[in-house]
Amino acid sequence: MDIQITTDWYLTLAAILFSLGAIGMMIRKNVLIMFMCVELMLNAVNLTFVAASRHFGSADGQVAVLFILVVAAAEVVVGLAIIVSIFSKKRSASVDDLSLSRG
Amino acid sequence: MLEKILLLTPLLLPLATAIFLNFVGKYMKVNQIALVSSLGLLGALSGALILFIFLLLDNFHPYTISYYGIINADDWNGRLNVWFQLRWDGLVAIMAILVTFLGFIIQLFSASYMAEDEKVGRYYTYFNFFVFSMLLLVMSGNFVIMFVGWELVGLSSYLLISFWYKKKEASRAGKKAFILNRIGDFGFLIALMMIYDIYYSFSFDEIFDFALRYPGSTEDALICFFLMVGAFGKSAQLPFSSWLPDAMEGPTPASALIHAATMVTAGVFMLVRIAPLLHSSPLVSLLIATIGTVTAFFAAFVATTQFDIKKVLAYSTISQLGYMFLAVGSGAYVAAIFHLITHAFFKALLFLGAGAVIHAMNHEQDIRNMGGLLKRMPVTGYSMLIGTLAISGIPPLAGFWSKDEILGSTFMAGGLYLPLWILGLLTSVMTAFYMGRHWIYIFLGEGRTEQALSANKAPKLMRRPLLILTIGSVFIGFINTPFFHGVENVLHEVIHGVNVTHPPEGLSFVVLASISVLAGVVGLFLSNIVFLQKLTNPLSQIQEFKLLPKKIRNIIVNIFGKENFITVNGKKLLSLLERLSFNGLYLDHYGNKVLVNKSKSFSRFVAVSVDQLLIDGLVNNLAKIPVLVGKQIRPLQSGYVRSYLSTFGIMSLILIALLILSIGGLL
Repeated sequence: MDIQITTDWYLTLAAILFSLGAIGMMIRKNVLIMFMCVELMLNAVNLTFVAASRHFGSADGQVAVLFILVVAAAEVVVGLAIIVSIFSKKRSASVDDLSLSRG
Repeated sequence: MLEKILLLTPLLLPLATAIFLNFVGKYMKVNQIALVSSLGLLGALSGALILFIFLLLDNFHPYTISYYGIINADDWNGRLNVWFQLRWDGLVAIMAILVTFLGFIIQLFSASYMAEDEKVGRYYTYFNFFVFSMLLLVMSGNFVIMFVGWELVGLSSYLLISFWYKKKEASRAGKKAFILNRIGDFGFLIALMMIYDIYYSFSFDEIFDFALRYPGSTEDALICFFLMVGAFGKSAQLPFSSWLPDAMEGPTPASALIHAATMVTAGVFMLVRIAPLLHSSPLVSLLIATIGTVTAFFAAFVATTQFDIKKVLAYSTISQLGYMFLAVGSGAYVAAIFHLITHAFFKALLFLGAGAVIHAMNHEQDIRNMGGLLKRMPVTGYSMLIGTLAISGIPPLAGFWSKDEILGSTFMAGGLYLPLWILGLLTSVMTAFYMGRHWIYIFLGEGRTEQALSANKAPKLMRRPLLILTIGSVFIGFINTPFFHGVENVLHEVIHGVNVTHPPEGLSFVVLASISVLAGVVGLFLSNIVFLQKLTNPLSQIQEFKLLPKKIRNIIVNIFGKENFITVNGKKLLSLLERLSFNGLYLDHYGNKVLVNKSKSFSRFVAVSVDQLLIDGLVNNLAKIPVLVGKQIRPLQSGYVRSYLSTFGIMSLILIALLILSIGGLL
C-alpha cells in the first residue's frame, strides 16, 4: 500500500489536537490542565502553519510559528506565576473556586 | 472728558471699598475697616460735591454721558441700543449728595454701634455695596440701568435686613422684604417692556423729549401706572407696606440709612424722574396721591399704639413716604423732593437716636421698659426731641417747611385733592401725637426697669453724628422756604416743561401754614395730656391740666367722665380702635390667611400631584427599567470560566458554519 502523507493529514491532526485542547479547556477544572490545553491548541495552530508553509512553499508560516513560540514562552511565564499565587492563596487549583466576578 | 471720569468716582469708590472689604476685611481690625469704609464714602461725597459745584456754575444744565453699549442689536422691527449711561442734573445731585453724606454720617455711628459684632467686615461690605447700588439707581441715564440699580438696592437691602441671619425673624423679614419688593418690581418690568414697545429706546432724554412734545397719551398713563406699582413696592406703600416694619430686624444704623432715609425714597425719586410722563396723566397722579395719603393715614394710625422703638419709626417712615407720594400725585414735585431731603435728615436722626437708646439699653427695644432716659443720655434725648418736633412740623425746624409745602400744594391743587388735604392734616395731628408719645415713653418719667435705671450715656462716636444730624434737622428746611426757592432752582431744569403745582404764597401761605402748625401742636398737646404721666385715665389728667379754663374742663368731664351711653360706647370704640391699630388693621393677618396660606396650600398641592406623582414618578419608573432588565440578564455572568468558554466555542462554531455556508453560496 502506498500511503501518501499529504498536507491534509497534518491539517486533520492539527484539527484533532485543537479540538482536544478546546474540549479540555471546557470540561476540566484544574488550572494546570487547562493551561496545558492552551499549549496544546497553540501547538495545533503551529502545526497548521508549518503544514501550510510547506504546502505553499513559502516561509511566511514558519516565521509566524517562531513568533507564536516566543509569545507562548512568555505567556507560560506569566500564567504559571499567576497560578502559583492563586494556589498559595486559595490552596486549590480549581477554576470554579475563582468565580468571584459572577453577576 | 473730565466729567466723564469724575462722574464715575462717586459710583465706583463705594463699589471698590465693598470689594476690598469683602476680600481683605477678614484680616483687618474693626477700626481699620471703619476707617477705610468711611474714607471711601468721604471720597464719593466729595466727588458728588465737586460735580454739584460744576453743575451750579453751569446753571443746572443736565447732561448724560454714555460710556459703552450694553446691548446693540437690530431686531426685526427696530433697533435696540442700550448704553451704560450716567446722568447728572439737579435731582441726581441732590440724591447723590444725600446718600453719600448720610451714608458717611451713619458709618461714623456704626463704627461704635457695630464694634462688638463679629461680622463687622461683612456689614461694611454690604453697606458700601448698598451705597453703590443706590448711586447707580439715581445716576442712571436710562431705564435699564435704573432697573439694574433698583434690583441691586433690593438685594443689598435684603442682605442687611437678614444680617443677623441666625435670628429666625431676621431671615424671615429679609425674605418678606425681598418678595414684596419683587412684586413691585414686576410692575417696573412691565413698564420697561411697554416703554420699549412705544419708544424703541430706554434713554430718559429721548423719552422725555417725546413725551413733553406729545403729552397725554394713554400709553404714557399705563407706563406711569406700572412704574407706580414698582415705586409703591420699593417705598412700602399700601398694599406692599408690611415689609418695612419687619425690616427693622436689621442693624439699626442700616435701618437708618436704608429703611428710613434713602432706599425707601427711591420710589419717590423715580416718580419725580418720570415727571414729564406723569404730569400729563391726571388719573394716575390722583391715584398716587390717594394711595399715598391713605397709606400716610393708615401708618400714622398704626404707629399710635406700637411699643417697639423701631417699629414706631418704621410706621412713621411709611407715613412720611405717603406724604411724599401725596406731593408727587398733586404735581408738587419740588415739595416731594424737599420733603425727601428734610425727612432723610430728621428720620436718620431719630433712628440713630433710637440706635443709641437700644445700645444703652442692651438691645431692649420695648419702649414700655424705658423711661427717664433724658437724665441719663441728655444729648440723645434732646437731639431726638428736635427730631420729634421736626417731624411734627413745628417751625422753624426742617419738617415744618417741607410738610407745609406739601399740604399747601395739595390745597392749591384743589378739586378732588381737597379731601386728601384734610386727611393729610389729620395725619399730621396723628404724627405729632405718636411721635410725642414715643419721646415721652422713652425719655420722661422714671425708669421702669433695671436697664433703664442703669443706662449710660452714648459714646462720643455716637453722639457726634447725632449732633451733626440735629443741626441738619434744624437748618436744612431753610434751603426751600417761601422766601428762598433753593430746591426749586436746583430742580428747575429737571422739571422743565412740566406742570408743577406751586405752594401758596402771601396770605394764603400764612393761613395754611398756621393750620398745619396748629395740627402739629394739637397732636403734641394730645400726646402730652394722654401720656405725660402715663395715666390710664386721661380725664383726671384733664382735670389737673391748668391751661384749660375751668368751665371747659368741667364740661369735658361731665360729658365723658360719667358712665352713660356715650362713654360706654366711646370706650368700646376706643378699645376697638386700639386693637385695630396695634395689629396694623390686621393687614398681615388677613394677608397671611388669604394670600400666603392659599398659595402655600396650592404649592403643596402642586408639589404632591405634579412634582411627586408626575415628574418624580416618570423618572423613577424609567429608572426601574434598566434594573429589571439587569436582573434578568445577570445569571449569564456566572463567573465560571468554562461556561464562558463553552459559549465562546459554540458561538464561534455557529459563525464558522455561517461563513462556510455563505462561501458555499447557500445563504
